[in-house]
Amino acid sequence: MRQTCSVFQPPPARPNRWRHRRMKEKGVQPVRPWMEKPVFISATSGTFEAYVPPEGDGKVSATLAAGAKQKFEFLEKKGKSMMAIRKIRQFDEDFDPKVFAEEAQQIYVDMHKALADFDKVKLHQMVTERAFPMVTNQVRNKTLRWQFVSSLEPPRVVHARCTDVISKENIFAQVTVRFHTKQTLAVYDRFGRLQHGSEVVAKDVLEYVVFEKHVANTYGVWRIHDKIIPDWMPPRQPSYKTYKAEEQTPEETEVAVVEEKEQKVAETAVA
Amino acid sequence: MQGAVPPTTPAQEIREFGLAALESSLFHLSLGTIQRPLLCTSASKLLSPSDTTTPSSLVQKSTLHTSAGNQSWERPRGPRKWLVNNQTKFEPTPFGEQERPAYVCHVKENIKYSPDKMWYVACLVRGMKIDDAIHQLQFVHKKGAVAVREALEEAQELAVRNHNVEFKSNLWVSESFVGKGLVIKGFRRHARRRFGQVKYKHCHYFVTLEEGEPPEHYYPNSRKLTPQEMLEEWLESKRQRTIPMSL
Repeated sequence: MRQTCSVFQPPPARPNRWRHRRMKEKGVQPVRPWMEKPVFISATSGTFEAYVPPEGDGKVSATLAAGAKQKFEFLEKKGKSMMAIRKIRQFDEDFDPKVFAEEAQQIYVDMHKALADFDKVKLHQMVTERAFPMVTNQVRNKTLRWQFVSSLEPPRVVHARCTDVISKENIFAQVTVRFHTKQTLAVYDRFGRLQHGSEVVAKDVLEYVVFEKHVANTYGVWRIHDKIIPDWMPPRQPSYKTYKAEEQTPEETEVAVVEEKEQKVAETAVA
Repeated sequence: MQGAVPPTTPAQEIREFGLAALESSLFHLSLGTIQRPLLCTSASKLLSPSDTTTPSSLVQKSTLHTSAGNQSWERPRGPRKWLVNNQTKFEPTPFGEQERPAYVCHVKENIKYSPDKMWYVACLVRGMKIDDAIHQLQFVHKKGAVAVREALEEAQELAVRNHNVEFKSNLWVSESFVGKGLVIKGFRRHARRRFGQVKYKHCHYFVTLEEGEPPEHYYPNSRKLTPQEMLEEWLESKRQRTIPMSL
């Protein structure tokens, strides 16, 4: 309904419904409807400049303990991690790596508890969007029973980096924390049979967990983003049941064949 | 499709015509996408390129975010509840109680075979061990046996991969039944201006594999009686006799 009281609008010379015809005669394109969906980037897609854990970390030895302390001081005084921590302090003045490490451990414990209960709401608060499918991948139809027994070493911040996404001011901070803890994990399959681990036997777990926060956002929260699994880490405890070893995939065989061919060519060239 | 048919007798031609048309429609239905033109002919005249739009040859066409075929949403057809049985989660078995055997439910949809004929194959396989069932189906001279065998092999693979079954031979067929699937109706001509309906029937084959040993008798009520039981039955029948009009 048109305004009638305050403003006087003279009636149009031609009705409004023939506006499209007039525009077409003049060759004017019709007004394009505004169809845009805002996209909010809440987490980065990976870990930037991942931390490379030193080999032999986690094996108890007096000399290594001293070495580890030196490395810890190194982090504090210089290097890219130090610059990243200073960048974080620009946004978050009270950021202290020692305090943060304890908070990080609490997030780690809460995340595992939420995963065992499969509380999706809480899990999204503990874990970034990128890590959520990785964390809940094989948990869907299973029952997890996880217990945090104790912390063998105090949690430690080992690495920190800051990145900007799209614009220079939109900064994400990624901090790697090292946890050496004692945990129990029992995985029951869909039918309630024990599939992996044990509720009673505790295991020593050494993990390097990457936490991320959208520092440019006032409501940004520290959440688990990724886990760094070094090559020298021993394999996990195998499951109880037997299984058939997977046959070598065609990709691997092709690569092997190509490598063999290259070796043969090299040998003939040398000969 | 009709052009490719070789010259045959009129009756055969008619049948092939009907089948070919139906097969092509089946093809579309199974794909779920029907190639419809996005614009009707009258509308295309209105939206033909004018002076202000760039010619289509100069426009860079990207294959991203373009969907061909059926633009409308089609209601999912076929069995919907059977596979939900695969998602039930049970509590961990308490200490001292016997463990629950694993099971996997599988379905093979819209097999081009009559459900009444498929019933025979489904009945054969009931209560058998998975290996026995697969071996027996190899030698059953029915079209449905091929589909049932494939279904059993797929179910076996699923059980090992997703449902924590350790040994693939440690399974038996606990449930095996058939459901009515797609029915496409056609017509055929008879002599003397009479018409007959031709039904192209499909069926769904449902199977549940359970872990462990199968029971000795799948139908305990209609099993073959042991000699002892037969003797007792005979004796009972003789004891129940009454002599009429006796003292």
